[in-house]
Amino acid sequence: MEKPLGCLSFSGLLIALLTFVILGAILFTQGGAMFSPGELNAQIAAAPLGGVRSHAELEHDCGACHTAPWQRNTMSDQCLECHTNIVAEITASQSLHGILMAEQGATCYACHTEHDGPDAVLTVIQTENFPHEVVGFSLEGHAQFADGTPFVCADCHQDGVAKFELAACEECHASLDADFTQFHVAAFGQECLGCHDGIDTYGTDFDHNQFFVLEGEHASGTCGGCHPDVRTMAEFKTAPQDCYACHAEDDEHNGEFGMDCAVCHTPTDWEQATFDHNLSNFPLEGEHADAACEECHQDNIYAGTPQDCYACHAKDDEHNGQYGSDCAACHTPVDWKQATFDHTLTAFPLTGAHNSVACADCHQDNIYAGTPQDCIACHVDPVFHQGLFSTSCTDCHTTTAWSPADYNQSHTFPFNHGESGVSACTVCHDPTLNTYTCYGCHEHTPANIDSKHREEGITNYTNCMECHPSGREDEGDHGDGD
Amino acid sequence: MRRSNRELWLALIAMLLITLLYVFVMSFERAIPSASGFFGHALGILGFILMLLTETLYSWRKRSRNASWGRMASWLRFHIFTGLVGPYMVLLHTSWKFNGLAGIVTLFTLIIVFSGIIGRYIYTAIPRTPDGIEIEAQQLSQQIQALESQLQRITSAGNQSTRELAQRLDALPQTSSAPFLTFLGNTFYEWSYRRQWRSEKRRLGSAARAQADQLQKVFKKRNALRRQIETIAIARRLLALWHALHIPIGIALFISAFVHIGGALYYATLLR
Repeated sequence: MEKPLGCLSFSGLLIALLTFVILGAILFTQGGAMFSPGELNAQIAAAPLGGVRSHAELEHDCGACHTAPWQRNTMSDQCLECHTNIVAEITASQSLHGILMAEQGATCYACHTEHDGPDAVLTVIQTENFPHEVVGFSLEGHAQFADGTPFVCADCHQDGVAKFELAACEECHASLDADFTQFHVAAFGQECLGCHDGIDTYGTDFDHNQFFVLEGEHASGTCGGCHPDVRTMAEFKTAPQDCYACHAEDDEHNGEFGMDCAVCHTPTDWEQATFDHNLSNFPLEGEHADAACEECHQDNIYAGTPQDCYACHAKDDEHNGQYGSDCAACHTPVDWKQATFDHTLTAFPLTGAHNSVACADCHQDNIYAGTPQDCIACHVDPVFHQGLFSTSCTDCHTTTAWSPADYNQSHTFPFNHGESGVSACTVCHDPTLNTYTCYGCHEHTPANIDSKHREEGITNYTNCMECHPSGREDEGDHGDGD
Repeated sequence: MRRSNRELWLALIAMLLITLLYVFVMSFERAIPSASGFFGHALGILGFILMLLTETLYSWRKRSRNASWGRMASWLRFHIFTGLVGPYMVLLHTSWKFNGLAGIVTLFTLIIVFSGIIGRYIYTAIPRTPDGIEIEAQQLSQQIQALESQLQRITSAGNQSTRELAQRLDALPQTSSAPFLTFLGNTFYEWSYRRQWRSEKRRLGSAARAQADQLQKVFKKRNALRRQIETIAIARRLLALWHALHIPIGIALFISAFVHIGGALYYATLLR
């Protein structure tokens, strides 16, 4: 360095010192006024506040409003030192000041500016900065007019920011769209703030679908159609969403199909009904699915339609009621011909050879009712039975086959006569059951029998069973020798 | 853009760009950007930093000529550029309110800018080497003698018309009878010489113009040296006087500015 900086020269230091002295003197005599960016407001108050009638009287007393960064008091505290009437407003939670100051970090100077001259307005609220939503109405949708002109407070608050008349809404909006405003006010009243919070206009951007999907005819309806006489958003939300709440008067079914119209109808058109019969307690199957509605539901009467087959199909009953009225016991809705009659469920289950006989063998002339169940009604009693057996075939026969028969009725002559166990009927009854012969067994030859009886002086011995009903030889001792 | 005035053009372009940005912000905010707003503060802070650079860097470089931190001419150009752009930004920062100390700082700023413009005029009137070292009168006389010899050679080698042209250019007024008036009229003499030369040049044929160009450059250089040698004493006295005024104003400006910054921090930035 060849030379010191100019400011470090004697003259430089002298000037620096002089500057400090001058500024210090001004600061001492004028306070911080030299830092003032402009004159204070000179508006005269009706009554003194804090000992002065206007801010202008505090021109040289910066400390009256400004506090040092290290002091506990804030500027707002300093304001309230004088403006004691505002203190009461702040403590009232519903007042404008109360709502605003309840916001964290709220200050007086956010709205009340100073140093803009003696005649400047003290309350300058920048719409883009003022947290208007804290008073219940956001300015999000009211930043500027349609032509780009920014809103000013007086556009809505014609009598000062502390006052607001709802008529201002109607007046302004009527100038934009008189017809709509008139209609809207007529439908929902003049309490705009009951629904509108300034954020959602519930206009073209409103998504009604998040509450109730507007489709078809619903989309072209008026708000009041579903929300009559609504005045608040809460009331809007109470609008019923079930069809019948609105469409009861439109119900041509007179409630016969219940109240959930959407089961069959869409919002597009009442006529485009798509009734799903299968959701009812009478699903349509087979031929039923192709039947016209009125075939079952005459005169458009749907409620109380009988569900028993015979109610509709009595005329179709080729059985003339012989099988009762429950067609479904044998038939399906697919085809009458595809009947699947289960004879085992009747009082005469088909077993054995009965299973293979044609229906007509038992039920002549298609007559089913009253078909006799006793065997003899169908089966002719054979000649060889006559006089010997009853007509109850099942006493001896099964349905499998007539033969072999199992005779289990009274029979004085033991079946196990002799020494060869139970003998076949034909051993004795040959060739017919109504005759018998004892010859042919043991020593019962005609000559032998004749010889033995003659020895006993018995000459009438042709009816063996008369004297030997059990086949024992000694039974004949009591005979009279005839 | 003449090389000698490049810093002035660059400063003008920078100020135009800043003005455009200022107008854009103003139209966006629909109001003059306030000094306490983000944009206003940015203008003030950046402008003041440029002013600080203006006052410090060139002074430091000027006082350390032995150091090789770029040529003095470059530092002077930077000094002029920041000395114009910085104050302009500070002026915009005021939001056109000149109350109290802030107004005094703005006033000092404007004074120092005008003072700087005058200082530049005085400073460049003193012949210097590219490193800013002043050239003494004896060296100037030697340079003039060399140029006279060069003129002699050119006119001797030239034809009659060249000699007549040399006589006409030599006859043009180059200085005033009073050195102070010569100093003030420096620009006028240069302008008058250029005007005369353009007039003479139009009379010449294309073949003679090349030699005439060489002749007029030597004349121009010699005339400038003659004016410098005549005004060097008064220019040095004026520069000393200018220093005596400019530096105190600058000191007062920066002290006031720092106090203003302190006040702004206390009363506005740290506002609670």
